[in-house]
Amino acid sequence: MSGDIRLQVSGLGKRFGGVIAVKNMSFDLRAGEITGLIGPNGSGKSTVMSLIMGLTRANAGAIKLDGVDIAGWPAHRIARSGVSIVFQHSRPLQRQTVLENVKLALLPDSLVRLVTEASAAERARAIAERVGLGGVLHRHPWTLPFADLRRMELAKAVARDPKVVLIDEPFAGLTSAEIKVFSDLIRTLRDEGRAVLLVDHSVKSVAALADRVIAMYLGERIAEGSADEVMQNETVRRVYIGGKIETVERKAAAAEGATLLDIDAVEVLYGKAKALDGVSLRVQQDEFVSIVGLNGAGKTTLFNAISGLVPYRGAIRFDGRDLRSLTAAAIARAGVVHCPETRELFGHMSVRENLDLGGGHLSNAERQRQLAWVFDLFPILEQRQTQAARTLSGGEQQMLTLGRALMMQPKLLILDEPTLGLAPVILGQLSKAIERLRGERSLTLLLAEQNVTFALPHSDRVYVLDHGRITWQGDPARFAREMSTGYL
Amino acid sequence: MRAIQILVDGFAISSLYGLAAVGFTLIFGVSGVLNLAHGGIMVVAAIVGWAAAGELGLGTYAGTLIGVAAGLATAYATYLIVVRPIQRSRAIRPEETEIFVLTGTLLWGIMIQVGMAYLFSDNPVTIRPLIAGVVNVFGVRTPANEILIAVIAWATIGLLWLLVNRTRTGKALLGASMNPRGVTLLGYELTELYLVAWGIYGILAGMAGVLLASFLGVSTTNAGQLTASAFSIVVLGGLGSVSGSLIAAYVVGYLETMTAYLIAPTLRPIPSLILLVLVVYVRPQGLLGRR
Amino acid sequence: MAVLRLRIVWIGAAVILIAALLPFWLSAYLLGILTAAYYFGVFAMAWDLLFGFAGEVNFGPTFLIGLGAYTAAILNTFGLPIPVCVIAAAFAAVVGGILLAVPALRLRGPYFGLVTLVAVLLLQNFIVIFAGITGGEIGMTVPDVLSIDANVNYWYALAFLALCAVLLFGLSRSAVGLILQASGQDAVGASALGFNVTKHKIAAFCVSALFSGTAGAMLIFYMGTASIDTVVDVAIAVQIIIAAVLGGRRTILGAALGAVFLIVANEFLRPLGQLNTFVVAAVALAVILFFPEGLLGYALHRGERE
Repeated sequence: MSGDIRLQVSGLGKRFGGVIAVKNMSFDLRAGEITGLIGPNGSGKSTVMSLIMGLTRANAGAIKLDGVDIAGWPAHRIARSGVSIVFQHSRPLQRQTVLENVKLALLPDSLVRLVTEASAAERARAIAERVGLGGVLHRHPWTLPFADLRRMELAKAVARDPKVVLIDEPFAGLTSAEIKVFSDLIRTLRDEGRAVLLVDHSVKSVAALADRVIAMYLGERIAEGSADEVMQNETVRRVYIGGKIETVERKAAAAEGATLLDIDAVEVLYGKAKALDGVSLRVQQDEFVSIVGLNGAGKTTLFNAISGLVPYRGAIRFDGRDLRSLTAAAIARAGVVHCPETRELFGHMSVRENLDLGGGHLSNAERQRQLAWVFDLFPILEQRQTQAARTLSGGEQQMLTLGRALMMQPKLLILDEPTLGLAPVILGQLSKAIERLRGERSLTLLLAEQNVTFALPHSDRVYVLDHGRITWQGDPARFAREMSTGYL
Repeated sequence: MRAIQILVDGFAISSLYGLAAVGFTLIFGVSGVLNLAHGGIMVVAAIVGWAAAGELGLGTYAGTLIGVAAGLATAYATYLIVVRPIQRSRAIRPEETEIFVLTGTLLWGIMIQVGMAYLFSDNPVTIRPLIAGVVNVFGVRTPANEILIAVIAWATIGLLWLLVNRTRTGKALLGASMNPRGVTLLGYELTELYLVAWGIYGILAGMAGVLLASFLGVSTTNAGQLTASAFSIVVLGGLGSVSGSLIAAYVVGYLETMTAYLIAPTLRPIPSLILLVLVVYVRPQGLLGRR
Repeated sequence: MAVLRLRIVWIGAAVILIAALLPFWLSAYLLGILTAAYYFGVFAMAWDLLFGFAGEVNFGPTFLIGLGAYTAAILNTFGLPIPVCVIAAAFAAVVGGILLAVPALRLRGPYFGLVTLVAVLLLQNFIVIFAGITGGEIGMTVPDVLSIDANVNYWYALAFLALCAVLLFGLSRSAVGLILQASGQDAVGASALGFNVTKHKIAAFCVSALFSGTAGAMLIFYMGTASIDTVVDVAIAVQIIIAAVLGGRRTILGAALGAVFLIVANEFLRPLGQLNTFVVAAVALAVILFFPEGLLGYALHRGERE
């Protein structure tokens, strides 16, 4: 039984409007095997899971469960055929107890069944105890710690004895001890003969658990094999780290620059999950500082905290001022300009209008000058200035985001993953633009990137963020020496 | 010359519908609120305008302006007393905020309607036409006031267009309707933008109410119907699309006028209701909607 | 949860017992008010099932109620006995419920609410156009009534309310109710667990329609007349929503409590004339702003809330 192919995916394709999320994905899931799916953010991993589960409809390809093509089936039918999913974000029924939540998973899809069989309650209890929820059966979800909510999701997924289990980001938000316990639970699933597909950002955790690993990038499979093989694969390393790590001789930044940004023991909670755990860092005037880390590490959360978009504990000071006392818009006006990962462009407005809005706080004359400078930096924006922002390509949109931020004459520019989803050619252009910024203006930059190769040449200092904590800091040369092998 | 009469009457009523609908859709686009107290705001403007003009003897022009001011005040009251507290309430889950705002504005609208009826009775009020006299339009004798109303409605809409497309605040408003987080990151305070949006809305609804009173007359019993028409027009045209609302206003206005003239006045609202049902089934986002 | 159920069941039984004895103390006038209130309670409970559980906001419950009421009334004028009329009313309402359910499953929030509102307006206009059969805006008288005795009418209403409460409450606590709650709260999660959310939501509509239509029919056989103002008007729909929200969403029984409270409050505020609607609306608004869980919801959860 073990080793049989349970799920066969062939030629799977999905596009959302103009964006190709998944392209020609083919792989097998075998019984009694854990398959890990890794890839940088935007590579299509979660989409693949949605497609298998029937939550989204594929544009192309077949998904065969024990030989039967389930592509195009509604999700509930796929679920009843023996596929289940553990979602990335817990979704408990808040008004029901833990036991009732698990019992729900055991109910038949009947309109007329009013009474649950007694055996269902017993089975629910047994399942809950197996995942470690025995002591909280009668509690409500909002009283439970984060890890227990994740256990409950696992319990719901295995309740009906599925053949295939899809697990989306099981380790996000868990402590290392909890990760160990969960990994053991997932191993027992495998040992029971189920086919497990695991997606997570923590490449290390996936590698420790998976029997086979498939790496994705921009919707396609780029490598497959054992964990070690994939980890050493050239393409995979390039995609994650960006390539060979090169450092550039930087002229030493002014030794005693004034501290522009001071982040002190910042903690952010999303519900129960600790997204940032006591993060402290410092950026000096005119410095370019990079924060590197994989997705889910907390980079975006940190930036959102700085911009005043999420509540936090701890202190964030800019130019001596405590930012907590300012509204988000006021923080932006004070000179802390944030280019978010999601860009937040005004899609239906033209490029020019987007830029003008960015320069809205300047006088007309100043705005014209600033606009001219931005156009000089990004000539393509001048060419496309009357086009609607949403019709631009990914790279052009990123340039517009940057340009719009520059219109605000920032003192501190925070840039969140500018290379996300961009083709390598564009990266070169972006890199040159940032280099120019370095030379021309008095600008301080805080850059968050997964792509270390992109970030390092522009950095005076580097911080490494992992699971909400700063685990390493130093200059780029030292990073190249110490971290290049251990990073992944 | 029935056809011309329909054309002219229809134009006037459509322009008024358009004015009211544009305000309604603006508030939805920027602040995400479907204001079910919309009719109530128009009614307040109409009745206060009438009272100021007639009862307090201030004359038609002053009365009209006071009426619009009353509409503005009521709109702000709606935002500050009902909408904003609900949107900011921590006791309400984010997915349910929309429903609570809807119900809250509904209740508020009822309070306005009944309150006004209590203070002023539910008899229809009319405001004396701003300009007297009759004009000959393609052979049809039309009250000059009717033409004026259409002109005012369009002038206001034109001003609004200028505001949104040529001023900094206007563009920020437009941006807020597309992406609230985006404007925040560019340093615009959303709270201020919302206040501006509701202010513009109050003026538009107030004007529509006062003008309607001088054209057809308004009573507190109209409040529900007025909200319903605005709602229908806006959904037809596409929630959040100003140009869509304008086009839809004319479609509905003419449908109603034709029904009233050619079939029976009592059946006035029916064709637009049927059209609405069709649209919702076939193309829920309306003619030009994007949300 | 088990403890809660026990508590509610005992309290509910006690309340019904006391209510059943009221005719020995109260005047016919007061009994009449309570009678109407009890039918209203069923309207509100049926609405809460749809909203609190299936997560669908129905701004036009009177579409279903009116369908049931007028079907029963018209059939009765053709000489059919009350029980047959009531069953036909239930059937007509369920058909209406399915008609309403179909767009609901394709539309989100405000659009669906609009369809429900439009349904009421269309029904209203329909009734006016076919005034010959329906009595138009004035309404129609119904040949048969349940009883002429105020006490008997009261007991009919109380029994009906109690029966519906037991059925609806039981449904909400049953396995199907659990699935419905899951479908309403998290449709994606529910489908990933293997539940056909569409099927369950349509079923919820039908159940809500069944109770609404039947209650509507019972109401007109109590009043002896059927008119737009009493069973179709949007104002009635609003009152039903207020009652359910006042009493507490997702509690079912809270809706009934809210309805009774509302009708009784309306009566006591009658001396204020028109203002009584104002006061009721103001109170309801205050409840929404300060006690969004509703009065019953607030009372029940006060111990549990963090």
